Amino acid sequence: MNGSSKFYRTKIPVVRMVVVMKNLFTIRAFHKSLISLSSSTRHFFCSSSSSASTFAIKNVTKSNFESALNDLRLYVKDADFVAVDLEMTGVTSAPWRESFELDRFDIQYLKVKDSAEKFAAVQFGVCPFRWEPHRQSFVAHPHNFYLFPRQEIKGDDTSYEFLCQTTSIDFLAKYQFDFNLCIREGVSYLSRSQEKEALGRLNARYKDRLLDSSSCWREGVDTKLVRVADILFSERLKNKIAEWHDGLLGDRNGASQTWKTSNDSKQQLKTIFFKMRPALDLTGFTSHQLRLIQLVVKNHFEDLVYACVAGESSSQQLIVYTDSASGRDLLMKELKDCLCKEAEMKIKAAIGFRHVIDLLSSEKKLIVGHNSFLDIAHIYRKFIGPLPSTAKEYVISIQKFFPYIVDTKVLLNASTVCQKISKKSSTSLSKAFALLCPQIASGVKTSGLADKRLVKVEVQVDNKRSLNWNSGAKHEAGYDAFMTGCVFAQACSHLGVDFTLNPSSVDLSHHEKLQEYINLLYLSWINGDIIDLKTGERKADSICSKGFKAHHSKILFSNTVLLWAFPAKLKASEIRECFCKVFGSSSITFIYHVDKTAVFIQFSKQELVSDFLVLKETLERSNDPISVLHPLSKVLQGGRTRAASYEVYKQICSSTISKVFFADQAEAVGIEWNAKLSKPVLEVERQVDFEASENQLYTDTRNETEIVSGIDPPLYMHSPTDELDSLCPAEAQMSK
Amino acid sequence: MLLQRRLLCTQVPKRSIHPTHHQNSNLNNKKWAIKQVTKSNFAEALEEIKTHIFNSDFIAVSLQKTGAFSSPWQKVLPFDTAEVAYLKAKYAAERYQVLQFAVCPLSVKSSKIIAHPYNFHLFPRDELKMGMPSYSFFCQSSYLTAMAREGFDFNACIYDGISYLSRAQELAAKDRTGNPLPRSYMKPSQSPTVYSVADSMFVDRIKSRIKIWKSTCQDSEKKTEDDLISTLRKIVSGGEVFGSRPSLSIDICSERQVQLILEMLHEFTDLVPLLVPAKGGGSQAIRVVLTSSNEDKNVFEKELQLMEEEHNMQVRGFREVVDLISTSQKPVVAHNAINEFAFIHSKFIAPLPSTVDEFRSSLCSVFSHIVDVNHLMREIGPLNKVNNLPAAILYLKRRFTRPLHMEIPQHIDGDEVRVHGRDVLRISELFAKLCLILRIVPESPEADYSTSSSTLECYANVFNPCFISSSDLLDDDVNISTEKTRRISVANLVFLWGFRGMMSARKLKSLLKGSHEVFSGEIDVRLADRNCAIVVFWAPGFAERFLEVMNSGGTNCEPIKDMISEGLRAACYRTYKRVCELSIWEPSLADALEKALEEASDLPEANSEEELPAICWDNDELTNLDDL
Repeated sequence: MNGSSKFYRTKIPVVRMVVVMKNLFTIRAFHKSLISLSSSTRHFFCSSSSSASTFAIKNVTKSNFESALNDLRLYVKDADFVAVDLEMTGVTSAPWRESFELDRFDIQYLKVKDSAEKFAAVQFGVCPFRWEPHRQSFVAHPHNFYLFPRQEIKGDDTSYEFLCQTTSIDFLAKYQFDFNLCIREGVSYLSRSQEKEALGRLNARYKDRLLDSSSCWREGVDTKLVRVADILFSERLKNKIAEWHDGLLGDRNGASQTWKTSNDSKQQLKTIFFKMRPALDLTGFTSHQLRLIQLVVKNHFEDLVYACVAGESSSQQLIVYTDSASGRDLLMKELKDCLCKEAEMKIKAAIGFRHVIDLLSSEKKLIVGHNSFLDIAHIYRKFIGPLPSTAKEYVISIQKFFPYIVDTKVLLNASTVCQKISKKSSTSLSKAFALLCPQIASGVKTSGLADKRLVKVEVQVDNKRSLNWNSGAKHEAGYDAFMTGCVFAQACSHLGVDFTLNPSSVDLSHHEKLQEYINLLYLSWINGDIIDLKTGERKADSICSKGFKAHHSKILFSNTVLLWAFPAKLKASEIRECFCKVFGSSSITFIYHVDKTAVFIQFSKQELVSDFLVLKETLERSNDPISVLHPLSKVLQGGRTRAASYEVYKQICSSTISKVFFADQAEAVGIEWNAKLSKPVLEVERQVDFEASENQLYTDTRNETEIVSGIDPPLYMHSPTDELDSLCPAEAQMSK
Repeated sequence: MLLQRRLLCTQVPKRSIHPTHHQNSNLNNKKWAIKQVTKSNFAEALEEIKTHIFNSDFIAVSLQKTGAFSSPWQKVLPFDTAEVAYLKAKYAAERYQVLQFAVCPLSVKSSKIIAHPYNFHLFPRDELKMGMPSYSFFCQSSYLTAMAREGFDFNACIYDGISYLSRAQELAAKDRTGNPLPRSYMKPSQSPTVYSVADSMFVDRIKSRIKIWKSTCQDSEKKTEDDLISTLRKIVSGGEVFGSRPSLSIDICSERQVQLILEMLHEFTDLVPLLVPAKGGGSQAIRVVLTSSNEDKNVFEKELQLMEEEHNMQVRGFREVVDLISTSQKPVVAHNAINEFAFIHSKFIAPLPSTVDEFRSSLCSVFSHIVDVNHLMREIGPLNKVNNLPAAILYLKRRFTRPLHMEIPQHIDGDEVRVHGRDVLRISELFAKLCLILRIVPESPEADYSTSSSTLECYANVFNPCFISSSDLLDDDVNISTEKTRRISVANLVFLWGFRGMMSARKLKSLLKGSHEVFSGEIDVRLADRNCAIVVFWAPGFAERFLEVMNSGGTNCEPIKDMISEGLRAACYRTYKRVCELSIWEPSLADALEKALEEASDLPEANSEEELPAICWDNDELTNLDDL
């Protein structure tokens, strides 16, 4: 060890270092026959001699969590940034919950929120990176935590449940995810709000108990003595306890009488001291017998207290002597405090993996992720609390915990320098990694000038170190976090952050070259919408909108109608035809399939939305031949077809229900919002006869829908444009 | 290296299985010789189980799911009517997934059971890439943890579990896949078609095309040709090869054209038409395959059939087993039948209908006899152990000492884990014992099974949480054998919530007793979950009176008035039913009832006079949260 650590301090370029080490290795190998080296040193030399070393990543489960957490504390404290990555059991709870181009900013957030609420995170990668100036390289400590949301403390009635998306599970299986390890050994956790709730429940419980201190630990013990055996047993125990009790008093009075017990009861009743008070330890009784004893104590002995104290393995049943009423109260309080403390400890122990999140938060480190909006939402939902209902509230809240977040996907797409390097190729993590960090990705040693620009990353797992470590386990959270960190370090270097200049580490969170990228995340990759975590707004002068669909600005949500549950197999082109016949050939800008049961229809003019909704209603109400022959009847056929303004889409998305098909979803959610609309009626006039209330309800509902459909277009919409055909390919593609 | 690492990880817990293995001390290991089936040995196991199913008298089934209910009140409770119980089972079946399906064909011969237990590991893998059989499913941590404790191998299940499609899904899949394999072998259509001019022109054109193609094919068979020329010829004639036989694809634009071509093809005895389905349903082309002779045609047709079977097997997957059980018409034995069969129906038959009656008739068309061991247990005695299989077996062993020997003929090699799916053996054992006690099965092996089947008949297809021994659930002619269980109309039940903090049923009862005269009669109070209680008024009419008092805001009754001001609410059983009908599955029953009440105010009270069913009230059986 000594030799190697001295060796670290010498400043020689890495390539040469390997060569030197090789030489050294041979010498060492020679030495090995003479002296046994410590295993860590051996590993270090062995690994660096091969081109790509493959020692295993640091996997963390229940069994090694404590020690790994302690190590991680040091690594994070020293780190310049920490890369994170999550593996989940799924992404979308229904096909229509996938991200669409037609999703408004607020809806994109709702979709992410739904995903983070329903699915579980099963793997959490944490990889702290530290710049080591004397070695001119980063040191990374990739950790791969297995998580499993186990219910560790008894609490509310709701069960711990999570959704699995079949394809995602299959995907994880494809990359050999170890489900057994995850379920059996995964680290559990408690969010901040869960912890608070549990502590609150605990306090409430013990406060309650203080109120009626007459009753003991178990409530409502009034087992009636019916059976002869019970009566006899109680009588015997009463005598025994009385004997013991009198013995105690006798002791105090100076009499030297000791308590005599027969052999068998000596085993069951043992005098001990509990909190400085004499007590009887009850062992070997059945729960029924204990109940009887409790009854005896309650009914016959005023200065004895029956107590159940939780021990290490099982609970201990005691009868404790108290000399006065105040002493008794004191004991009760002590017992309560003791139980309370114990329950508190249990809650603290259940925090589990959240300690890692708390660590990242308290150290205020720069968090690096790749396309990480969903990841961060998961972190918030799992370890902080329920997600707020709007993106703005969420963002403000997340900034309190993580003030500096940077996303490599944003970085790669936004900076012209990085774009030039990535040559506009895919910015998926593994592709970016292979492109930006070839020396790590494939172990290829580049030489000369090119090499100079490559940031070196040395990996340390326990005591093993390597400069070109590659576990190759793609889609494993720990490795993905490592790749993300490498990509970030390299991107920084391309942006002109010079790590080598600084004597110590660089403050990346405040680095001027990174300022325009920090706290920007893709809310939705498909739309190219970037959210600014500082404001909660969509990044208006999107630095990253380059190359992004110009037509995005042309989507007019107020001109859009949602149509669902129309006759099956009706194609988008047929729907368009019907609408064009009624509202004119240029009335429809586009039709977009949500799924096979629903479409978005955007009209060229906003009035047409209400025109259509009114027309639909009149057609449905009348049954005359004209309405049957009406061009729209093809769409309305079957009588199940529903239509609504864009705002209803938001309502449907915000529901916690997730049906596979949109039409089913809308129907299921419909129950909810009908209930909401009827509320005012319910409160004002409860006693009205039914007919009246129905009418009122009816008008009420209508008003509401009119208001809803009349909502002004959102502020961040750009100026309207007349015709739009750019979405037609999508239409054709979707209408298969 | 990576793989090795991950394999190593899974091996550790495997060792820990053995303790549990030995815990079943009174049962030797041989007893759990349950054949574990995954994708890799499915085909072989299917053949085996087929013969066992057809040679056995009964089929016991048992499912291992990823969850059962999200909160205490959502499980089937003793005060649930059949309708409510079904709705709860439906919700669970739609929400959770089946990971293990144990099937045990068994025969009972006097005091011997012959059992062939199989445990199939399932995973709803999307084999056809169509979002089927299941887009997503819920898992309950506690269920997965419990399975892990038993040594269940999740990796094996997910990597190598058998997939499946329900009958309804298979139909949908046939519509939607543009499967390149021409798999539906066409039968000639019966209806004579009237030709229009356009039709006959179309037919003539196709006919001549086929003739040319045929002659070129036959020509080229005779001559040995240059490779280049034969390739060119193929391109010109549009011919392809189907297997080893030449074939020709004819694009079509309508079902009408399909008909025309198929009719026309009758002329050619050596041609076999195949339909190429289009992606969105219907057909996109007809592929004509040329056979060299009559024998060759037969061979080819057989090949096609085989291919179709193979494909079906891939599509149906595990459902083949369910179909086998269905076609065998053997009585199916289960524990908690309503839950099990809600799952079976939703995963392997079709989406669950909205009412219990539709469910029953749909299920009966697939499985003619379903026997619930819970229900049989009820026949014997008052058992609060009914829900616990080992306890029930123990109870029977003590009370009915006739020995019963279980024989498992199949042999399993190696020391693979055999405990999974052992519930199916427990069910089998329990069932066999009950059969003997209830004389369902002939005492002597010579006697004909059919004579006793009528005895079984009256136990079959009962889906009632109360286990009433009547095939018609709403009938009143029941003989409850215990003094503790009493029958009561649900009109006499009231749900109460909004009482202060956590309260025991006993406290609540004493509180109520002193509050109003309606409580002066005999009442029972139980907690349905933490925040909601159910009150039984044994004297008729009192429940209604109490609800009236509650609705009036507690006029003339100060204690009730106070409680209402503190938040006390009440609802009748109909509200509870509505909660389930509208799927208001809130974690707390109180919240759900509250929501249902809101909803109720805007719905007509049309069928308020409907006849209310009765339930059995068992004093012992309700969730007793005092003990928690």
